[in-house]
Amino acid sequence: MTNEQTNETLLEVDAISLSFGGVHALVDVSFDIRKGEVRSIIGPNGAGKSSMLNVINGFYHPQEGTITYQGQARKRMRPHDAAAGGIARTFQNIALFKGMSTLDNIMTGRNTHMSKSLFWQALRIGPAQREEIEHREFVEHVIDFLEIQSIRKTPVGRLPYGLQKRVELGRALAAEPSLLLLDEPMAGMNLEEKEDMSRFILETNDEFGTTIALIEHDMGVVMDISDRVVVLDYGRKIAEGTPEEVRTNQSVIDAYLGVSHD
Amino acid sequence: MFYRESGQLKSSYVADQAMFPIAQDRWFVFGVLALAFLVAPFFINEYWANAILLPFLVYALAALGLNILTGYCGQVSLGTGAFMAVGAYASFKLVGFFPEVNFLIVLALSGVVTAAVGMIFGLPSLRIKGFYLAVATLAAQFFLIWVFNKVGWFYDYNLTGMITVRPIDFFGVRITGPEATPAAKYLFTLTVVCILALSAKNIVRGRIGREWMAIRDMDIAAELIGIRPLRAKLSAFAVSSFYIGVAGALYFSIYLGAVEPVEAFDINQSFYVLFIIIIGGLGSVLGVFLGSAFIVLIPILLKNIMVGGMGFDSGMAGHVEILLMGMLIIFFLIVEPHGLARLWQIAKEKLRLWPFPH
Amino acid sequence: MAFDIFLLEVILSGLMTGVMYALVALGFVLIFKASGIFNFAQGVMALFAALALYDFLAEDGWFFAVFGFTLPVWLAIPATIVVMIVLAWVIERTVLRFLVKQNEIILFMATIGLAFVLEGLGDLLFGSDVKPLDIGIPQGASDWLLDSFNLYIEQLEIFAAGTAAVLVAILAIFFQRTRIGRALRAVADDHQAALSVGVSLDKIWVIVWSVSGIVALVAGIMWGSKSGVQFSLSLIALKALPVLILGGFTSVPGAIVGGLIIGVGEKLAEVYIGPIVGGAIENWFAYMLALVFLLFRPQGLFGERIIERV
Repeated sequence: MTNEQTNETLLEVDAISLSFGGVHALVDVSFDIRKGEVRSIIGPNGAGKSSMLNVINGFYHPQEGTITYQGQARKRMRPHDAAAGGIARTFQNIALFKGMSTLDNIMTGRNTHMSKSLFWQALRIGPAQREEIEHREFVEHVIDFLEIQSIRKTPVGRLPYGLQKRVELGRALAAEPSLLLLDEPMAGMNLEEKEDMSRFILETNDEFGTTIALIEHDMGVVMDISDRVVVLDYGRKIAEGTPEEVRTNQSVIDAYLGVSHD
Repeated sequence: MFYRESGQLKSSYVADQAMFPIAQDRWFVFGVLALAFLVAPFFINEYWANAILLPFLVYALAALGLNILTGYCGQVSLGTGAFMAVGAYASFKLVGFFPEVNFLIVLALSGVVTAAVGMIFGLPSLRIKGFYLAVATLAAQFFLIWVFNKVGWFYDYNLTGMITVRPIDFFGVRITGPEATPAAKYLFTLTVVCILALSAKNIVRGRIGREWMAIRDMDIAAELIGIRPLRAKLSAFAVSSFYIGVAGALYFSIYLGAVEPVEAFDINQSFYVLFIIIIGGLGSVLGVFLGSAFIVLIPILLKNIMVGGMGFDSGMAGHVEILLMGMLIIFFLIVEPHGLARLWQIAKEKLRLWPFPH
Repeated sequence: MAFDIFLLEVILSGLMTGVMYALVALGFVLIFKASGIFNFAQGVMALFAALALYDFLAEDGWFFAVFGFTLPVWLAIPATIVVMIVLAWVIERTVLRFLVKQNEIILFMATIGLAFVLEGLGDLLFGSDVKPLDIGIPQGASDWLLDSFNLYIEQLEIFAAGTAAVLVAILAIFFQRTRIGRALRAVADDHQAALSVGVSLDKIWVIVWSVSGIVALVAGIMWGSKSGVQFSLSLIALKALPVLILGGFTSVPGAIVGGLIIGVGEKLAEVYIGPIVGGAIENWFAYMLALVFLLFRPQGLFGERIIERV
């Protein structure tokens, strides 16, 4: 879809296995994400898609396998290290900070870029204020980009579902991520909201060249906006390729139609 | 009619991020401060200072500390009384060691000592949440009070087990003990509280404040967007304890003058401060002042009405006070968890529209 | 030899205190299991129950003032149970149902408010002086143990241990064998599932608060018989909190074992460490033990491990 796509690998998932007390969430999964692409992870419920995202940004630690991000292989990583390294994400069930305004929520996305100490914060006048304003300007760009100017100061708890999803995307974008993980960004949306969200995702990818890994149930959306797709079922990778290849793959069709495994 | 923000357009982010973006609010706050600093000192007497203004200021400061931890960072503590004791004993020992040092520095150091102790007891917050943490802070409450009661070094091996404040001069003006004038005690406390309240307001609306609130609202999500839970929680414990420690030092040195640990800093103090932030408003700087005023004035009112007006004995008034506090806590938690501060805000919003109904 | 007897006495006396803690902790666990509410007022409920019981028995109570006679023990206890059930109903009606959707911290703080309400109410209704509670539980040392084994054990404590055992047995039967008991367990596992088998949530809350009110009454009777009915009872009851941390918030056996560990632990600490550091460490030992424990096993001895999800 995008023009800036290269063949350079941003993230490589190599033979990842993850289990919780005997339950296998992921088994020997490998794939890569190239710089600048929109990569979708699809599969039936319980296929291990969210677990995969949780592994990528360090929330779960896989028992086996390695992840290579920006050329650096790692086994264990704390989520905040992943965030500092430029991996941002949104969540399946909205995980906004309900007591804070839209603006403050998006500002938290800038946190990894801010550094002024407690002392300056308490004083406010001077360095802390300059820093605050500098990042406020960036956040205002994000707000303009997502067309949410009018809800800037509204506590997010009061916003309708679709707008909350958008604010969450804003918080992730504010971090200026190299890799953006989107966990079902369109779940529970109506058609119009889905179109808006698809547009924002594509524009993010186009304008900022942000690499995107996406979990989505709506096949129409996935086929429309993805460059490449990886399909998981029962924690295993069963197919990958371009949307067209995946669509016609027999094991993918079987998985979605619920053909029994043998 | 006069309370309007229309026409007050913000042309810079500085103006938009100001503490009181609406001009009328600014004037109101300046007015209150002028009253407090320039008028009140001339009318203050022993009763007003000791029964109302000093406890009001000291409890507001302690509540500010607890609100940073509970209201902003979402960690419940039942150890406020003990942390106030740490501040009080730290100031007592520091003045003993360095009688010449300016009392503001002593206060700051007392706060730092309390912050260090607070961080130690805050460490479990990394592994445990909610009321589990509340139990952990109870450990601080009972253990620390026991230490101050048992270890003679803390009270200079005084036979009574009490500590009594030494005479302290602040730029030549006596601010502690019976020789200090009510006005001097009041003005000193007021200044400290105002500076710290301003700093707190600055912190909570900046990066660190947002980190705390993010942890409060959804700690896992906060971690996933790059906030270190360890750092955020411990910084909340540290800043919170600093405030509570300074409050404890003022409580001992200026307000009471002499304390005995078991009574002055028992678990009821912890509840008392917790109630201030629930009634005043969780996560609000203004709220701690409203809540503190409320909780200092209610017993006085009750006493005047019940004992003075209706002839009940004071024990009865005490029981009614406990009952009423409990009911108010439940009422506020059900009806308005953001407390008096939120009610104040609603009143302002109504005022903004007045006299037009919509 | 004499040393061994002494050690045994310390341990036994710790076990007996532990039984008392366990009784209070049991009330906590019941409510927490069924509703996820950490009921800080459990200790004050024990105090309140003991005060109400005293009122039915004594000639300086309201009951005597109104009706001109006092109740015998076998009537006073059921009457107090009725009081606790009414109390549970009132609490559900005026507090809990308005806080159903709030987070656990708000609920926790609301129960602190509740503790104050009950304390103020108890003081107002019954006065705040220490009241002797005598319902005919044998007092003094057990002569038989003293004569045969040279062991000094309070008969009251043996009685308390026996009662606790019976109470736990009754609760176990209640949860395993009765329809309501099974529904309660269902709620603990899944609110939705409970609703679908036709048990209303508010009814369940009234029941579970009543049951823990009755458990509180038993605890109140034991504590009250031992040291009189007084406010400090609700503070002693706070010791149930470290007990819960040790035992796990959702485990009935955990409450019992945790209570015994804390009881024995703090007695041993008081006797063997206390003199070295200046005594009175009973006040905080349990909390510190719990704190250290929390660092290594946050879910308690018997609690379930928590897996976090996003």
